[in-house]
Amino acid sequence: MSVFSVDHLRVRFGGVQAVRGVSFGVESGRTLAIVGESGSGKSASLLGATGLLPGSASVEGNVLHRGQEILGLPDRDLRRLRGPKIGFVFQDPLSNLHPLKTIGDQIGEAISVHQKRITRRQKHERVLALLDDVGIADPQARFSDYPRHLSGGMRQRVMIAIAIALDPGLIIADEPTTALDVTVQAAILDLLKRLQEEHGTALIFVSHDLAVVSDIADDVVVMRDGLIVEKAPADDIYLRPRQDYTRELLGAARLGGPKSYAVQRDRQATRPLLDVQAVARSFGSRPVLDDVSFTIGEAEILGLVGESGSGKSTIGRLIAGLDRPDAGRISLQGRDYSQPGSSGILPGDLRKSIQVVFQDPYASLNPRRRIEAILADPFVIHGTVDKAELREKVRQLVTDVELPHDVLDRLPSQLSGGQRQRVAIARAIALRPSLIVADEPVSALDITTQAKVIKLLARLRDKLGVSFLFISHDLGVIGELCDRVIVLEKGQIVEVGQTQRVFERPAHAYTRRLLASIPGRKRPPAEAELEDVVYG
Amino acid sequence: MADTIHSPVALVVPRASPSPGILLLKRLWRERAVRTGAVIVGIVLLAALSAPVVSHLLGHGPMEQFEGAALDEMGLPIGPTLEFPLGADGNGRDVLVRTLYGAQVSLLVGVPATTIAMIIGTAIGLVSGFFAGRTDRIISQAIDVALSFPFVVTALSLLALNRGGTGQPIVPPMVVVITIIALFSWAYFARLARGLALELRTSPMVEASRTIGASWARIIWLDILPNILPTVFVYWAVQLPANIVAEATLSFLGVGIQAPMPSWGNMIAEAQRTSLYQEQPWFLAGPGLALFLTVVGFNTLSAGLRNVLDPNRRRA
Repeated sequence: MSVFSVDHLRVRFGGVQAVRGVSFGVESGRTLAIVGESGSGKSASLLGATGLLPGSASVEGNVLHRGQEILGLPDRDLRRLRGPKIGFVFQDPLSNLHPLKTIGDQIGEAISVHQKRITRRQKHERVLALLDDVGIADPQARFSDYPRHLSGGMRQRVMIAIAIALDPGLIIADEPTTALDVTVQAAILDLLKRLQEEHGTALIFVSHDLAVVSDIADDVVVMRDGLIVEKAPADDIYLRPRQDYTRELLGAARLGGPKSYAVQRDRQATRPLLDVQAVARSFGSRPVLDDVSFTIGEAEILGLVGESGSGKSTIGRLIAGLDRPDAGRISLQGRDYSQPGSSGILPGDLRKSIQVVFQDPYASLNPRRRIEAILADPFVIHGTVDKAELREKVRQLVTDVELPHDVLDRLPSQLSGGQRQRVAIARAIALRPSLIVADEPVSALDITTQAKVIKLLARLRDKLGVSFLFISHDLGVIGELCDRVIVLEKGQIVEVGQTQRVFERPAHAYTRRLLASIPGRKRPPAEAELEDVVYG
Repeated sequence: MADTIHSPVALVVPRASPSPGILLLKRLWRERAVRTGAVIVGIVLLAALSAPVVSHLLGHGPMEQFEGAALDEMGLPIGPTLEFPLGADGNGRDVLVRTLYGAQVSLLVGVPATTIAMIIGTAIGLVSGFFAGRTDRIISQAIDVALSFPFVVTALSLLALNRGGTGQPIVPPMVVVITIIALFSWAYFARLARGLALELRTSPMVEASRTIGASWARIIWLDILPNILPTVFVYWAVQLPANIVAEATLSFLGVGIQAPMPSWGNMIAEAQRTSLYQEQPWFLAGPGLALFLTVVGFNTLSAGLRNVLDPNRRRA
């Protein structure tokens, strides 16, 4: 008998049917992965099934917990289920932990809320055992730490400790590793797997990425537009996918690393465009960058990879002229433009030469202006006044980034994430820059959209001859797009080289550790033909 | 199951939707507080506009005294009758007509005062928040100083200065009252706008504009201002009832709108001073309830607007 199963589940928010009849179940000791892109209804179906959606949402169908119908149970009864019987781990541990309570208290609360008669001493011991269980070193010392004292990975371990505090038969983990670095993600996946084996728990793991769940899933449900596209044992999904959409997701998933490397070109011939010399930067007393030097060639895509806090975004901001270094200098085509103490404003022609694409297209486009106005801005600022000419230039831009012309009349909120990022790219190429700093430009996008935007960037490089500094924490993306790659650890460059060489023969221990953490190593890409599906 | 998938992954642009303005109005109307508030505010506006009509229909001017018809043989005002729907005041004037004209005065003082304060405060706050650093420190100090003046005491002294040698006001008192109220409420708008601008100036949206070379004036005007305006407008609706009460306070103290011109403040003051409300309760209740209704209306409206427009308060 399934520990937890849903049957013909439908979830509706007002006029929007988010989930349109899905059925799945999970048994003890097994892991069910639910995979789908944003808006596919994967989270809505689980939140709906466990009564965690607001009252305005309507949920229909059957939800069985150990054979007992739980849909429509009163809140009291559901609360008795959530915690002791069903544990939850969500995406963002920082917003799910109370900032003013120690982690020991918060884990203890998860216990005492359901076991009123537990003594203080028993509770304390149980919390210490849990902290130890989720792999937090020195639990005694950590007990009275606040969430802000912990790293992202440690916070997620605390969340997991809360979820398993009462040894529930089922754990629902909704994108538990999405906000984490790749090495931390690997550790959390290992932890979940180990706990599951020790306790025989059933696990439902929600993710947008087939690669992440590839090592942990026994069964996979692929969802799209509120429906199940394919439901099969993991081996079948990864080795013999039956649906085109599953193949498309698999193609975009980069199991175990990049599928193909950027075509090698003769980079020796290109002249250096940007020169970064011994740059250092610190915020207050905390050094962020230390003695960083590198060059970017003309029409080169240079990858910059590192974990959060490694200083990679700071490098991007320094090069873009949004920040000043404390030491060292940066020059473009032999012209120094950024050094300690220089003013915050780049001279006009240099300003045009260096453009930026930001991570979050939801935040980098003014929500109150239409796309046409946003894209006309660079031209207006740099002197184009003629209306017809302006319109022509903007239309050309939209064509360059492969968007239909009718996006021009829309507001950013009426576009999808991928479309918005294309608009941001269009704005960056408007002034025909020689260098574009792209700071995690695809991390906020769905995985199939990522593949398309990366292809677009490569084509733009070929067409316009523009260089890119491509900042990312995702090694797979870097491998597929970049000619060369820089590996950054704690503000220092530990390795530089041709992408393929670095990925295949990493010289530095940190690079090796990063590469080993890429999810899906244990499932090498099944068939070569998959690549046609992605890039066809 | 593939046949049940409807939408292709291709770049599909959603159908053209109605203009954002219409959508916003629809969203506002779905909020009950907005509906209730809008109805009450509508009634107040209607009352203010209908004052001359009612005055004409009843044949009573706002400052006309009807000692024969409206005062009894003891000289006390009569209660509600057909001719005087809310009765009369101690001078035999029609309380209903005066209350309606009072609504005009309240709005004529409150709306311009709040609007002036909003424009000045938002401009100062934007500059302070956007430039940060030293500019911000100086302006913030100025805001703190402005907020530390006691309202009534300062207003009384300023209005006392507005007396020429003959005891006649130099500047029309209404203008002075508007100026004083604006002087005392711009700082709240400045603080609000400063905080919002401070948050936006380091946002990717503003940095994106900086990287294409936009001037600071362009960034403030096109990027920051349109994005903080909804919040500022909500605050306008929050501040307006407070300013209407401020006008009533000054008139109550006898330094605002001068008798015989009707204002809710001086009507309440007169009812209270003469104790005639014990004989003719509507003398006090008319302007009192009108003031209450106006404040409740604007407060309800602003609470509703905030529920809809403030992104931090939007419910899941």
